[in-house]
Amino acid sequence: MRGISKSFPGVRALDGVSLSVDAGEVHFLLGQNGAGKSTLIRILYGAHHPDAGEILLNGEKVRLASPADARALGIAVIFQEFSLVPYLDLAQNIFLGREPRGLLPGTIDHRKMHAEARRLLGSLGMDLDTHALAHELGVAQQQVVEIAKALSQNARILVMDEPTAALSDHEIDRLFTQIQALKASGVAVIYISHRLQEIAAIGDRITVLRDGRKVTTMAAADAKPADLVHLMIGRQVDTTYRHQFCDQPGAVVLDVQKLEAANGISGATLSIRAGEVVGLAGLVGAGRSELARAIFGADRVTGGTVRLNGRALDAGPVRAVRSGAALVPENRQTEGLALMRSVQDNVLVAGMRKWFPSGWYCARAAATIASDVVARLSIATPSVARVTRFLSGGNQQKVVIGKWLTAGSTFFVFDEPTRGIDVGAKAEIYGVINRLVADGAAVLMISSELPEVVAVCDRAYVMRDKRIVGELQRSELSEANILRLAMHHE
Amino acid sequence: MNKGAAYLLAILVVVFAVFGSGFATTANILNIGVQSSVLLLLALPMTLVIMTEGLDLSMGAVLSLSGVVMATMLMNEHRLPVAVGAAVGVGLAFGLANGLLVVALGLPPFVATLGTLGIAQGLALLVSGGQSVVGIGDALPALYGREPLDVPFAIWVAVAAFVILRLALSKTRLGPYVSAIGGNREALVLAGVRANVYHVGVYVLAGAMAGFAALLLTGRMSAGHPTAAIGMEFDAVAAVIVGGTTFERGKGSLWGTLVGVLTIGVLKNGLNVLEVSSSLQVASIGVLVIVALAIDSMLQALKQRRHTPARAA
Repeated sequence: MRGISKSFPGVRALDGVSLSVDAGEVHFLLGQNGAGKSTLIRILYGAHHPDAGEILLNGEKVRLASPADARALGIAVIFQEFSLVPYLDLAQNIFLGREPRGLLPGTIDHRKMHAEARRLLGSLGMDLDTHALAHELGVAQQQVVEIAKALSQNARILVMDEPTAALSDHEIDRLFTQIQALKASGVAVIYISHRLQEIAAIGDRITVLRDGRKVTTMAAADAKPADLVHLMIGRQVDTTYRHQFCDQPGAVVLDVQKLEAANGISGATLSIRAGEVVGLAGLVGAGRSELARAIFGADRVTGGTVRLNGRALDAGPVRAVRSGAALVPENRQTEGLALMRSVQDNVLVAGMRKWFPSGWYCARAAATIASDVVARLSIATPSVARVTRFLSGGNQQKVVIGKWLTAGSTFFVFDEPTRGIDVGAKAEIYGVINRLVADGAAVLMISSELPEVVAVCDRAYVMRDKRIVGELQRSELSEANILRLAMHHE
Repeated sequence: MNKGAAYLLAILVVVFAVFGSGFATTANILNIGVQSSVLLLLALPMTLVIMTEGLDLSMGAVLSLSGVVMATMLMNEHRLPVAVGAAVGVGLAFGLANGLLVVALGLPPFVATLGTLGIAQGLALLVSGGQSVVGIGDALPALYGREPLDVPFAIWVAVAAFVILRLALSKTRLGPYVSAIGGNREALVLAGVRANVYHVGVYVLAGAMAGFAALLLTGRMSAGHPTAAIGMEFDAVAAVIVGGTTFERGKGSLWGTLVGVLTIGVLKNGLNVLEVSSSLQVASIGVLVIVALAIDSMLQALKQRRHTPARAA
């Protein structure tokens, strides 16, 4: 791939990135969340089209207009999001679209398909019943089926996006053996992983991406984990949004002890005081959103306690919200707003019980309350009657925050509060967060943007594999320290 | 398949056999088969449509329209195969329209097929002038009245339809692709399969089978009636749901649908034998859907509970 560039509205995802992979090589692709790895892979698979640059295969320029083109050229991708069909069996899933033909046209040779599927799964060390339905499998087994599916395509270029994230050590060993065999047969493997110790096990070369640009390509033998982390961070911390740090936090607002939940969270202990902004950092899939859901009781809690302002939260999200907890979700358009309704309706939806305890809705009072919130958060809208869909991303985010202000919340969880928001609006969101804590609220901020965590938070907890693996005080809070904890190396 | 429905069917059969005199006779059992045959022809393709996370509300109206078209052509002394061809053609056209509206225009299936329901029903009234079309000659009644091996023609047709569709689903690519459209359409597209073609095809099949079902409906009444099949799509949906096919993730079973159709047939027939009023029979199908799914959901919950501790350990 030569000089690949790709922009999305408001973001330059890739800027002149070149990547060359040899046959029989395992090439690691490293970078923080948002460095451009996924976009590069999607271009290689024909799912996105580059704005500039070209792709050469065996020295010949190729055009990848669709995933079908990529497949035909022998490019296979194992995506992180599983591409299995829940009510088909394993053999059907592995051979979807490439079923071995039976005697009559259109028919499938089931015996051959299942034998072949068993052989593939066996080579990965999995003794699974190929008649089992995909939805009956655990995540690790689904991952193995996904790998078998890619192997069955006899790909010349195989892309693996965090294939080991859900696997046990034993399964990882099996996978690595398989990868060594693929290497020997001349397959080029592009391997994305956050586990730096895997480089020593199977890597040949490494390419590091940062902010959509290629930083370097180097031989795996020359790479030290500490250097790699440094290369991935690279830049200086952006100082445009400096937070007024909190020196004297108030009483404990949120107190979580040894929380266990059905979604995988285990042994989570944390506390947040009034006036604090506490970060929750970690890589995608580390369990940050799951922890937030468990705190809210949105996913079943199996052990431990959550106390908010001294009151136990043990009866689901309704109790949590009535006790003063507020969630500003990552996906604000689908989970935080009624997009087709007015600013006024959205701002009041969570505060109805507080402002209209009798159950009678008074439109004039509602308009006054909404205008007040619009003024306090400086939401740019022509009127409180404006339909939320027509506001900018930053202003929509403020409406979600306004919703909880109206409800009188004292504990706010922000899940990726600035994703998809431009720089100016970001600063305003940080300003709003500052005002919230100045008024005595406690804030838990989930963020994948490390500079943001470093610049905005008073402290941070770092998660990995659904556990809290460390706490960083403000003096220790740096991108390098967060990454060191979040990644899998000591 | 919904195990709850299978238990329910067995219980109903036993109860009616014990309390309804004349229920457990050969004649009555064949009668249930004949009564269920038209519904099965609708419910089988409806299963596929629902597996794609779709819905076809137009099937009853298309069946009525095909029926009056067939009857009118027979009345005008066209030959039987031509009349059947016309009925199937009408169904095909509506099925194609449904498929294109859903797949090409992206309309919600509920909306698209509610629209074509109205059009088909209106056309049926227009073609027939709102009257029953009688005087359809001898060819169709003669065919319908045949009983090879003492089994009525309608049952043979229904069994053949079941066997053919069941084989198509289990032995050909159609089965996995239909399930994939509902379960993970993206995966199917990424696998290089022309998902759109299969998706439209499912609606075309539903239309064509509704048109073909007119052969049995018209044969049974020896006439075409523009409102004969009003609401039958809901019985078909009920049968599919009772059989354990869900509107999510491409889960579905033709065996389940067969059980669902038979459960509805046995229930209607049994209540008739017990001389329950017809208004209560309508309500009974509603109760059936709820009870069958409640049993299944309880069985699932039991199964889940048995598995959970093992996973935690």
